[in-house]
Amino acid sequence: MLCRQLSKTVSKAILLAVLSSCFLISGALALDGNEILRQVDRNMQPESYEMYRKLINIEPDGKKKEFVFYTIKKGLDKVVALFLSPASEKGRATLRLGDNMWLYIPNVGKPLRITSLQSVVGGIFNNSDILRLDYQVEYDVEKITDQEESFLLKLKAKSTSVAYDRLEMKVDKKNLLPTTIECYAISGMLIKTLHYTKIEDFGDGVVRPSMLETDSPLNKGYRSVMIFAKVRKKELADEVFTLNYMPRVHELR
Amino acid sequence: MSCGREQKSVFSCLALIAAGLLFFSPSPVHAAEEFSFDVDELEKKNFEWGGYAELKWEHMYLNEGSAFEILNPSKPSGSTLDRLSGTLQIDGSYLGGITSLNWTLKASGQQDNLDWYDQADIFEAYVGLKPTPRLAASLGKKSYKWGKGYAWNPAGFLNRPKDPDDPEEALEGYTTVELDLVKSFAGKLQTAALTTVILPVWNEINEEFGEINNVNLAVKLYLLYKDTDIDLIYYTGNSRSSRYGLDFAKNLAANFEIHGELAYLPNQETFVLQKDGSTLLRERSALSGLIGLRYLSENNITSIIEYYHNDSGYSTGEMDRFYQLVVEGENQLYSSGSDLLLDQARDVSRKGYGRPQSGRNYLYGRFTQQEPFDILYFTPGLITIYNLDDLSFSISPEILYTGFTNWEMRLRCTFREGSSFTEYDEKLTHSKLELRLRYFF
Repeated sequence: MLCRQLSKTVSKAILLAVLSSCFLISGALALDGNEILRQVDRNMQPESYEMYRKLINIEPDGKKKEFVFYTIKKGLDKVVALFLSPASEKGRATLRLGDNMWLYIPNVGKPLRITSLQSVVGGIFNNSDILRLDYQVEYDVEKITDQEESFLLKLKAKSTSVAYDRLEMKVDKKNLLPTTIECYAISGMLIKTLHYTKIEDFGDGVVRPSMLETDSPLNKGYRSVMIFAKVRKKELADEVFTLNYMPRVHELR
Repeated sequence: MSCGREQKSVFSCLALIAAGLLFFSPSPVHAAEEFSFDVDELEKKNFEWGGYAELKWEHMYLNEGSAFEILNPSKPSGSTLDRLSGTLQIDGSYLGGITSLNWTLKASGQQDNLDWYDQADIFEAYVGLKPTPRLAASLGKKSYKWGKGYAWNPAGFLNRPKDPDDPEEALEGYTTVELDLVKSFAGKLQTAALTTVILPVWNEINEEFGEINNVNLAVKLYLLYKDTDIDLIYYTGNSRSSRYGLDFAKNLAANFEIHGELAYLPNQETFVLQKDGSTLLRERSALSGLIGLRYLSENNITSIIEYYHNDSGYSTGEMDRFYQLVVEGENQLYSSGSDLLLDQARDVSRKGYGRPQSGRNYLYGRFTQQEPFDILYFTPGLITIYNLDDLSFSISPEILYTGFTNWEMRLRCTFREGSSFTEYDEKLTHSKLELRLRYFF
């Protein structure tokens, strides 16, 4: 009787210990994964900054079309991109506040709401790629795998309003910067793959890739390349990220 | 329209679209795999300018015997009309500290079978003052496009009427004094902005807005609340009757947006044609509205659909009376040589019956597919405007190609259909073919 009670108590204790260990281990992994993601965000872009980007769409026959835009970002979820060239796009501005996106075209004269899945430039980059928020804003780390020189983070979108339901992000262990990101639809289909290369010191502690290349199984033979320049910390007022300010974003340069 | 001519116009349109497809299909251009980015080339300048030059060719099939063909004072010989037009738009700005000068100038000339016509306008020319990101002021001629509707803006009390077939074109402004206050917040209310506009109507200044020798006031309060754009709009002044407006826009999903407008005019005045042929200035309250959506499908088709109720518009019975007057005027001209009734009809047309979308209920649809068949920068589309009261409509298939840097090419056909005494059957033209070439600089 005593023996049976003792064995019952021991069994309960062992079960409790195993469950606790499982819980603690999984909690630690989730914490690590999200912490790594936060580090990736901070390494990729300061809290408040400006930068210039050139986007090049490349067709299978080698034909190219280039777009240049000036971008400002503040906090976790405020981004503006202003087109500087070509002349046909000059003055267009896109604003993102969390899940909200607007496009301002000078001729149209008022900001219109757009959706993250559309593309204002054509090609493989869509609006959410051009107006990318911090990954931690839109994604949770579901799983982290140690792959010797890199971590593989499996990310799940926090809501259905996010352009890609899942991401598989390969992060270089040395500098905690992404090297490859695979973007998946809710159906599980691979939409596109992003490749970050050419790490550059932009000054002021900003060391990050200066080139992003993307390809898509949905657009075989087509590629898009984004080159980053003059990534600099910049103090910006919240009011800069409003519809009223969109026609005059160029004055911030 | 005879069946043969309709077939001919459809065939011409399809042939041109096919030719366009062949012409715009990508040609092989081989380039070295090198990417460079010289940011210094894009150094900010105080003085910046740009714009576009446009060449447009239109081939129109006249709607012989229609109300507006009869009212047209200049009659072309034959059943078609060709028009070639050129447009130059130049916009720019000069920035000096917190002050800026901004302008948009537009000049155009057109030659058709009958005549040469040209015009030049200052669309915008104003001084802007921006002491802080939260405060901006302007003085001068400025274009207003208030409201969230794509094709129509019943709550756009300071807007010039736009062409729903080309709603993205620049519009001429009004001379105003404007003050803009903006404040961002953390929480459910993310932004609040108050725009106050003073619009005087004097001799030579904003005369076309309404009654002269008045100073008008318009106020717009914008709120971004719970991820929804909301505008509350109020206009008062003696140039037009006072009016109240509301609009909203919201993204419901990553590919789905809805928007709407509501406008209440307590004392809206409208010229109405009476049974005895006289006109009466009718005053009554009008509640107009618009509800619309923008949806991106999985196969990359963007659909913009809007329903518009124009409470100030004319009923089918009122429009019938106008069309009947034109018929009687034509009969009078043939029987006695007098154009008294036709002149009366032209006057009534100018007072409201002849304006675009003069009816009460409309449905607008615009469907575009971005880059089908992996052809970059190629966008085929379809635009339709349907008069829900008289069941007449216009439908315009088009193709747009922007693959050559700074060039935009658009080929569009427009067909108008409806039974007798309906809006789209009584237009001047029943079909049109249009090729537009734009170069941006």
